[in-house]
Amino acid sequence: MEYPDPDGAGPVRGGRVVPVYALTGGRTRSGAGRDMPVETLVTVTSAGGRTNDLQLEYRTTVELAARPISIVEIGAALGVPVGVARVLVSDLVDAGHLAVHLPPQTVGGGGPAPQILERLLEGLRAR
Amino acid sequence: MHAEQDELIPLKVLIAGGFGVGKTTLVRSLSEIPPLLTEQAMTAASIGIDDADAVPDKRTTTVAMDFGRITVDESLILYLFGTPGQSRFWFMWDELARGSVGAVVMVDLRRVDDCFPAIDYFENRRLPFVVGVNRFPGADDYDEETVRDALALPADCPLVWMDARDAESSSSALVTLVEHALARTAVAG
Repeated sequence: MEYPDPDGAGPVRGGRVVPVYALTGGRTRSGAGRDMPVETLVTVTSAGGRTNDLQLEYRTTVELAARPISIVEIGAALGVPVGVARVLVSDLVDAGHLAVHLPPQTVGGGGPAPQILERLLEGLRAR
Repeated sequence: MHAEQDELIPLKVLIAGGFGVGKTTLVRSLSEIPPLLTEQAMTAASIGIDDADAVPDKRTTTVAMDFGRITVDESLILYLFGTPGQSRFWFMWDELARGSVGAVVMVDLRRVDDCFPAIDYFENRRLPFVVGVNRFPGADDYDEETVRDALALPADCPLVWMDARDAESSSSALVTLVEHALARTAVAG
C-alpha cells in the first residue's frame, strides 16, 4: 500500500494520557442519521467558543474551527483517524459548540449542481 | 447571482492512478496547505476481496491517503484526495467518490497498466474524470491517438499532458476536469 510522505505536517499532541478512542467511548461512528462526509466543514457557533470545561481534543477541535475546517483536516491535525474526528465533531455539534456545513446536494445521483461547478471553475481560473 | 454566497460549501476531487505516478506531487502543487495524511476506515464489501492478507476477516480496514485544500472563494472550499494506487482497494472508494466533482486519473506512460483499475472504476460509476499523462524525464513521447487507444478511452474523456510538479500545469488539468464535469451536467439535462 502507498503511504505518502506527510511532509512534516505533524499531529497536534500534548497532554493526552488516554487514547482518543477512550475519549470517544470507543465510538468511531457518530450518531445515527448524521451522515457527514469527510469534507464536511465545521465552524464555531456564536456561543461555541467557551471551551474551558472541555477535554483537550474537544477544545483543540473548537480552536481549529476558528476558520472553516473539514473533518478530515481535524483528524490530520489531531493525529486521529477520520472516524474519530467525526465523533468529536458530532459531540461538539450536539453540545452547541460547532455548526456543520454539509456538501451540496448532488444532481441525478452524480456530482454538484452546474451553478456550483461554474463557481468552482470561475474561482480556479482566477487563481 | 450567487444566491447563497455566505453558505460554506465543501467540494472534493479525487486524484487517482498507480503507485508512484505522482499523485502526492500533484496534490502538493495544487494545495494551499502542505499535503496532510489521513487514516480512513474503509468499509469492505464482503465479496470481491481477492487478497485475504489485505483485509483479514473483518469488514473494515484502514487506508492512509493524503489530501490538500484549495480555498476557491470566500465560501467555496475544494479538497483534493490522493487515493492509494492498488487495485484491490478500489472497491472501497464509493464513500469518498460519492458527491465528488470527479477525478484526475494520472498515467505514467511507462506503466500504463497501473491506471486501468482507476479508469474502470470511474467509467463504471459514470463519474467525470480526465486522464493526466504525467511527463517523466526519459519517457517516450506518444501522440494523443496512440495514448487514447492504449487506454481505450471514451471519446468524450479529456486527455491532458501535464507536469505534476508544476502548479500551472496541475491547475490546468483541474480546470479541464471541472469543465468536463460541467459539460456532463448539461448533457444529462
